[in-house]
Amino acid sequence: MTELWQALAQGVLIGSTYGLLALGMGLVYGVSGVVNFSHGDFISLGMFMCLALYSALSLDPYASAVITIPVMTAIGAVVYRFLIRPMVGHQFLMIVQLTLGLSLVLQNGILMVFGGQPARTPSMVESKLIILGEIVLRVPHLIAFAVSFGLAIGLYVMLRSTDFGRSIRAVHQNAHAAALMGIDVGRVQVLTFALGIGILALAAALLLPGTPIQPSQGLRYTVITLLVVVLGGMTNFVGIMLGGLVIGISEAFGTIYLSGPLGHLMPYIIFVAIMLFRPQGLTWSSQR
Amino acid sequence: MREEFYKTLMSPVWLGALVLTALLPFVLSSYYLHIVTLSLVYVALASSWNIVGGMAGQISMAHSLFIGIGAMLSSALLLKLGINMWLGMLISAVISGVLGAAIAWIDFRFQLGHLSFVLITLAFAEMGVIIVEGWDFLGGASGLMLPRDTGNFLAFQFGGGHGTFWVMLALAAVCIIVNLAILNTPLGYYLRTIRDNEKAAQAIGVNILRYKIAAMVISAVLASVVGTAYVRYLTFADPYLLISPVITIEIVLFATVGGLGRAFGPALGALLLVPLGEVLRGKLGGTLPGLHYFIYGVVVIAVILVTPRGLLPLFEAQWARWRARG
Repeated sequence: MTELWQALAQGVLIGSTYGLLALGMGLVYGVSGVVNFSHGDFISLGMFMCLALYSALSLDPYASAVITIPVMTAIGAVVYRFLIRPMVGHQFLMIVQLTLGLSLVLQNGILMVFGGQPARTPSMVESKLIILGEIVLRVPHLIAFAVSFGLAIGLYVMLRSTDFGRSIRAVHQNAHAAALMGIDVGRVQVLTFALGIGILALAAALLLPGTPIQPSQGLRYTVITLLVVVLGGMTNFVGIMLGGLVIGISEAFGTIYLSGPLGHLMPYIIFVAIMLFRPQGLTWSSQR
Repeated sequence: MREEFYKTLMSPVWLGALVLTALLPFVLSSYYLHIVTLSLVYVALASSWNIVGGMAGQISMAHSLFIGIGAMLSSALLLKLGINMWLGMLISAVISGVLGAAIAWIDFRFQLGHLSFVLITLAFAEMGVIIVEGWDFLGGASGLMLPRDTGNFLAFQFGGGHGTFWVMLALAAVCIIVNLAILNTPLGYYLRTIRDNEKAAQAIGVNILRYKIAAMVISAVLASVVGTAYVRYLTFADPYLLISPVITIEIVLFATVGGLGRAFGPALGALLLVPLGEVLRGKLGGTLPGLHYFIYGVVVIAVILVTPRGLLPLFEAQWARWRARG
């Protein structure tokens, strides 16, 4: 029984960070219809920037985020403006291929700078534990969970009640009509993409403590993110956080209860099963 | 089959190129012969991917799975159960074909358009990696070592450099001819209709599921067979090379750079980029690992931004201009 609660707790904590990774992608997809296959490599980039800051200034990853978030946001704006915007309106598949190319550039750029050896970035809270009855929780996971949900709520409120949020929703619903209402659609798309990449910098810092990193990990993060976004129904924030929890929990249960490859396959099996029976994703309303 | 198929097949340019390439082993040093052989492997793989990715417009990320089954399963069957590799190649090809059909069918249940196909194939590719890495029968994380190639044709051995080169040339030619044939039969028209407008294709009565499955099965079987021949050439079944989604990404990029949906486009991309990558790796691989992939990425981004239809149309336009002048 302890095992069950342990798996559940761990799954919820990890799953919330998967939700956070996926929020940015869902936001960008909603506004510009772009699916970014270099998403995971941007997470890698954020993590390796934290590593560089640690080796140069011995900054804790959480402190590094103050620097990496604005830098990554700026990178996101540049990437959208000069690489992705020229392709919007072309075939969807062209953007897939463009971002796959970008993924190779990022992944191997990181490899060229940092080398291929797995690295770790220490943090103050790395090995701290909290024990609740028989369940052991790692403090970095708790911090990641709290920040992820805080940020999800913050984004939700931002979309509901600020002018920028309203313009994002307007572009999402109908870009032509939004343009006629005087919204600068191009600007909204650039800012959303930049925001999406900026969130990844934060997610990278949250995931980093105690996690070994290597340049080739990006694709796996991209795949997990895509699973979560699709489970969540692409643009629905509540659905995306829920999708993150489903993937996180199935991963935790898989590794605790099933040995070997079958355990690691759990998230994918659950994903394919859900999609076979609910092709529209987890959310119940048909509203998009 | 349209007349153009036979015209291209019998054209002096195509036949001449084949004969000249077939003579290369007599003039090239083993280093350059290796580069050309590797290029032919990727010509065959990119061309087989083109049937699904280029013609039907379905970016399949699952091809690492088919290549991996062809390579890892046939090796495992030989080493662990003593099954002749010709038979292993057939078994792997059948499994790849069935899996391809299953993936196409599962995709049909999704309702997310093109994105779902990329996603479900990527998920299957990831599952393939996990299974191969975790299952000792398929070599696990350490891979499988094939016996030395002594040139015994009946045991799927082609006698090292020269023999393997000709096998690869034949496979690459077969893949290109299959592309040409499909483009010139109704299947090719249906696939392009599905690519350009799936809803319209459905409205005029094209059986989308049937043709998607057909494209996926043909493509998967070809990729699987090339995978078996490739692993025989490498003699080491390396899971990190053969089942990793990176191999699919490379193929997709070669096909895109050359020109999607054309019979010779993917081949052109592979013939330009593989030698470039190999030479860079040979010259700089020791000092800067990752450089050649970095450059692949930059080339792809540049080509997509400048000429989204790939390089082949540019070459064709130049060729037409040259002929008009001459």
